[in-house]
Amino acid sequence: MTSKTTIPVHLDINGQRHTLELEPRVTLLDALRDRLGLTGTKKGCDHGQCGACTVHVDGERVLACLTLAAQAAGRTITTIEGLAREGELHPVQAAFLEQDAFQCGYCTPGQIMSAVACIREGHAGSDEEIREYMAGNLCRCGAYPHIVAAVRQAALEAAS
Amino acid sequence: MRDFSYLRATSVDAARQAAALPGAMLLAGGTTLIDLAKCGVAEPDTLVDITHLKGLDRIEIDERGAIIGALARMGHVADHDDIKSRFPAISEALWQAASAQIRNMATIGGNLMQRTRCPYFRDPSNFSACNKRVSGSGCSAIGGVTRGHAVLGTSDACIAMYPGDLATVLVAFDATVRLGDRHIRVDDFFLLPGTTPDREHAIEPGEMITAIEIPSSAAAHRSTYLKVRDRQSYEFAAASAAVGLELESDGRTIRDLRVALGGVATKPWRARAVEAALKGKVLEPEAVRAASLLAVEGAVDHGANHYKIELAPRVVARAILKMGETA
Amino acid sequence: MTVHNIRHGDAFDGGADAVGGRLSRVDGPAKITGAAKYAVEQQLKGLTYAALVESTIASGKVRAIDSKAAEAAPGVLKVLTPDTIISLRSASDWFGTPPPDKPYCPLARDITFSGQHVAAVVAETFEQAVAAAALVKVSYDETPAIVDLSDGKAGDGIPVDAMTKEWGDASAAFASAPVRICAAYNTPREYQAPMEPHGLIARWEGDHLTVWEPSQWLDGMARTYAEWFAVPFENVRLVSPYVGGGFGSKALALSHGAIAASAAKMLGRPVRLVMTRPQTFTSYGGRAATRQTVTIGADRDGMIQSIVHRGVNETSIDGMWVEPLGSVTSIMYATPNFSSKQNVVRVNSVVPGAMRAPGENPSAFGIESAIDELAYEVGIDPLEIRLKNYAEQDPHAKKAWSTRQLREAFAAGAERFGWARRTAEPRSMRDGNQLIGWGVAAGTYPVRRAYGEAMVRILADGSVEVESSSIDMGQGTYTILAQTAAETVGVSADDVVVKLGDSRFPRAGVTGGSRLAGVMTGAVHKAATSALDQLIGLAISDPRSPFHTLQANTLVVANGRIGSPRGDGPDVSIAELLKSIGRDRIEATGDTMPANSTAEDRYKNYTTIAMALPHTEGDYSRHSWCAHFVEVRVDEDFGTVRVSRVVSALDSGRLYNPKLAESQWKGGIIMGIGQALLEEGIVDRRHGRIVNNNLADYLVPTNADVPEIEVISVGIPDLHSSVLGGKGVGELAIVGMAPAIANAVFHATGKRIRDLPITLEKLI
Repeated sequence: MTSKTTIPVHLDINGQRHTLELEPRVTLLDALRDRLGLTGTKKGCDHGQCGACTVHVDGERVLACLTLAAQAAGRTITTIEGLAREGELHPVQAAFLEQDAFQCGYCTPGQIMSAVACIREGHAGSDEEIREYMAGNLCRCGAYPHIVAAVRQAALEAAS
Repeated sequence: MRDFSYLRATSVDAARQAAALPGAMLLAGGTTLIDLAKCGVAEPDTLVDITHLKGLDRIEIDERGAIIGALARMGHVADHDDIKSRFPAISEALWQAASAQIRNMATIGGNLMQRTRCPYFRDPSNFSACNKRVSGSGCSAIGGVTRGHAVLGTSDACIAMYPGDLATVLVAFDATVRLGDRHIRVDDFFLLPGTTPDREHAIEPGEMITAIEIPSSAAAHRSTYLKVRDRQSYEFAAASAAVGLELESDGRTIRDLRVALGGVATKPWRARAVEAALKGKVLEPEAVRAASLLAVEGAVDHGANHYKIELAPRVVARAILKMGETA
Repeated sequence: MTVHNIRHGDAFDGGADAVGGRLSRVDGPAKITGAAKYAVEQQLKGLTYAALVESTIASGKVRAIDSKAAEAAPGVLKVLTPDTIISLRSASDWFGTPPPDKPYCPLARDITFSGQHVAAVVAETFEQAVAAAALVKVSYDETPAIVDLSDGKAGDGIPVDAMTKEWGDASAAFASAPVRICAAYNTPREYQAPMEPHGLIARWEGDHLTVWEPSQWLDGMARTYAEWFAVPFENVRLVSPYVGGGFGSKALALSHGAIAASAAKMLGRPVRLVMTRPQTFTSYGGRAATRQTVTIGADRDGMIQSIVHRGVNETSIDGMWVEPLGSVTSIMYATPNFSSKQNVVRVNSVVPGAMRAPGENPSAFGIESAIDELAYEVGIDPLEIRLKNYAEQDPHAKKAWSTRQLREAFAAGAERFGWARRTAEPRSMRDGNQLIGWGVAAGTYPVRRAYGEAMVRILADGSVEVESSSIDMGQGTYTILAQTAAETVGVSADDVVVKLGDSRFPRAGVTGGSRLAGVMTGAVHKAATSALDQLIGLAISDPRSPFHTLQANTLVVANGRIGSPRGDGPDVSIAELLKSIGRDRIEATGDTMPANSTAEDRYKNYTTIAMALPHTEGDYSRHSWCAHFVEVRVDEDFGTVRVSRVVSALDSGRLYNPKLAESQWKGGIIMGIGQALLEEGIVDRRHGRIVNNNLADYLVPTNADVPEIEVISVGIPDLHSSVLGGKGVGELAIVGMAPAIANAVFHATGKRIRDLPITLEKLI
């Protein structure tokens, strides 16, 4: 039987290795935000209902609020802070800015992480497909048409 | 969330043994379990993480059928080319379930263990009565807000709706669940609430889902999953239908038909009466609509969910007719 | 500067940097890289975490609170109950009404709604606080609750005389009218549901309180905190650099803030308290549920003779919220006879609050549905009947419109939408199983005006800094103030840094009612003009200036360089000039307050809404206007409604940044789609509790619910409304969307849905 108190958790985040002492119940989301100061990943509902906490684990988009930090140990985690390389915006980030695909910005990191994966998965083939495969990221400001435009633009750039 | 221990399983046997201990639960994608732990519904002492086990995520397809490993994730199965071509209803049910992120996390085995969305079940601090949580404590849903509750398979003890999409397809095509060496039909795996709504699955302590097996059939090959809901996406079904159709060589007489309903019952609901009424008949709209009404035979509403009794047969009819139109 | 002859809000004297240009959000890079730190994301040393315990009954009294188990739980530092929390003073309301002279306790003993805060737990970690909060056992003496408007105990409510608007003899005119429409329209409880939940970090240093909290009104909230804790206003600092959506819900300091700040004071450590998503449905009010009856008496040719309107909205047991239901009813159409009255009904709920276009939104659902019904009754096209009854002046205030481009909006929208191809009969357009319907409705929102203050600094490197305690919750304040300062001073927007969201900056009133852009562009324009005047004055008069010998009357600044208007003489950068005259900065504070305003006036202006100017002040009635054209597809068998096309033409006056204004308009339209088809707080009538208090069950639109949306600006600069000619943007576009959709559903199906939302069971 393992102890209920804290356990060491090694996390590989944006190419950096972090070691934390955590209670097993700590989610990846709270580990990122409260322990590591990586607050770009947002908490909107904490129950898998909004998509604001979307991060990549082993290259796939998942929800950090329903992932235990301990579960993610040994996997490769990418957050919004790790998307731009050497100060150069990721094409999806650039497209979001150009298309004004956000207003308050709170759902935006999740939208962008989701969009990067959506394109990589091959689910950005049409506006209709983008809408469906981006439906797991709620945006109360209603930036959806511009998010579709940004994903479309970035997908075309990626394809060319 | 209550504190718990975390154990990373290194083998299926170790996982089974660890999970057999009192207070222990298996943790796969976590999309149900972590959610319910935060709600205070699940209160595990130990979580046995099986997501790092190797080899349980395989998808094997041959002429006899498909075997999908318990840890295959919903999104991968939905996008699998052979699943899409030979079991289209499975792919359609999966991509219409939840969101892309949740589908990347949730496993096929975990999906079968998904729990109801009944708001009374999910809120122990406000609603102490729930026979599903605490046997004999009563049902807060009956007499409450019932728009999303079941109209089929209910009992005086529970009217909670089974919310999953995949299992609706699985019961239509006679799939089985593999619990290691024990195999059980999906239809039998899900239990009616009866007087024991706390017991939802025919699974014993120490057992673990290792795979599901779907036999090939002409009907599965020509199948669809139609999901109707208030919101266009990222929502549970108001009513859904899994339908598979095989026609005689005349192209109009129904040789085989499979129909199952989602979003309206306490478990994935095979509508055998509809199948029986139409097998051997010529596929034409009036007959299909009339037979589809049999899908809700015996349905009981609780006021706000009455619309499901109207809606479900229409969803069934549309799905059958849509399959009839495909060449 | 010149603002004449500008059409359709486009940039007129420069590129994207100028006011009116399509500059991308200047706060964008921080938001898309995750660098933007929202209020509760500050990493503070010694931070502790609080979790709330809420009432599980809707009416009654707390009998006892057993906190022993919670106190013994790991990491717990304190359990706050009504008995253990420090005593606070009551605070004034947002009008500045002096508070009752009695203590205020943010933890309730007397329960008036389910979800009321009764206790709180503070622990070393978030996980420990949440787990311990679940161990607090509260027992109650429950009394029967009034659950909603249809509760038998609710009664007819309290008349709100201030809402009564009457002219002519509406009843008599209705009785004698040849065509009579009478119908009841209901809207449910709706919720702002911003993606960022409410919460705060509170930290005390001596008798100074710092609060990091998402806020639509730093100065107003600072006032409330100062009054609660009986410290000087200056001792409270509110910080809100980014706000993750508000939609009206983040304007006031709420009880959870008082709890967190009390806990911080009691512990001597900073406390973070963030609501769970379910708590966001009961810790503050959404839009009140409303009921209206609208009767229209008209000629057979559709000319309105009389409108009689009666409205009711929910309020709480001990709070007062009036949702002005006659606001659009009384101004949209010309009528010689009119009567509107309103009651409020007390129910056991949290006091409702402001949500995007409070009043106008449900009001428009009534009148814009009713006139559609009249159109079918008399057999006139729904667009034509609106033009026929067009109000050439404000029918209520009897004043000229400052500007009203509504006719232009109807024309531009109809053309783009292809309205002329519409077939008149319901159920006359179809695509397979889908019935297609086209609907139209108008919307409006008053121009709310107030006074603002800003600091503009020209720095040694030639860059410009703007400071204001106003906020940006996505409307684009950072960007349009950068544009305003850039254009006014004569620099590139890249060289402007806008600092917002700190109550130490020059003060601002509430960001609500679509007033901020007009108020703050005016203030920044004034401060920037003053800074520029100082710069030019020094350039001309300072003996060390290269322009000193030029004997010029004035100089011009453009692209960050200063020179003579004729282009002769020296041409130096602002940085070079400042260096030559030995200045490291030029600073000017500007405000738009009336001359001779006292310090007390200023305090009142920035911390209450008492000094807001009526939209009908003076000779004009000032409003934004819009027309929505909507196509829906209704599945004939399933009753599901999908909005498949939207064209909206809007008059917000001059647009300071069309790119951002279009985004905000579309956001309002999308929230309107949610209101029309999805959104409804559902009450368990036995418990008086909202049961769909989360984002899986309270459905807001997803990306898949939203079609392509086309917005057209038909506004012209309205200098009666603001210094630079803009009217309101943020609230406008939601107004009229729900009736446009309901009208389209009627056209598609022949079924008139008068209860929102239009869910499938109402159509099958």
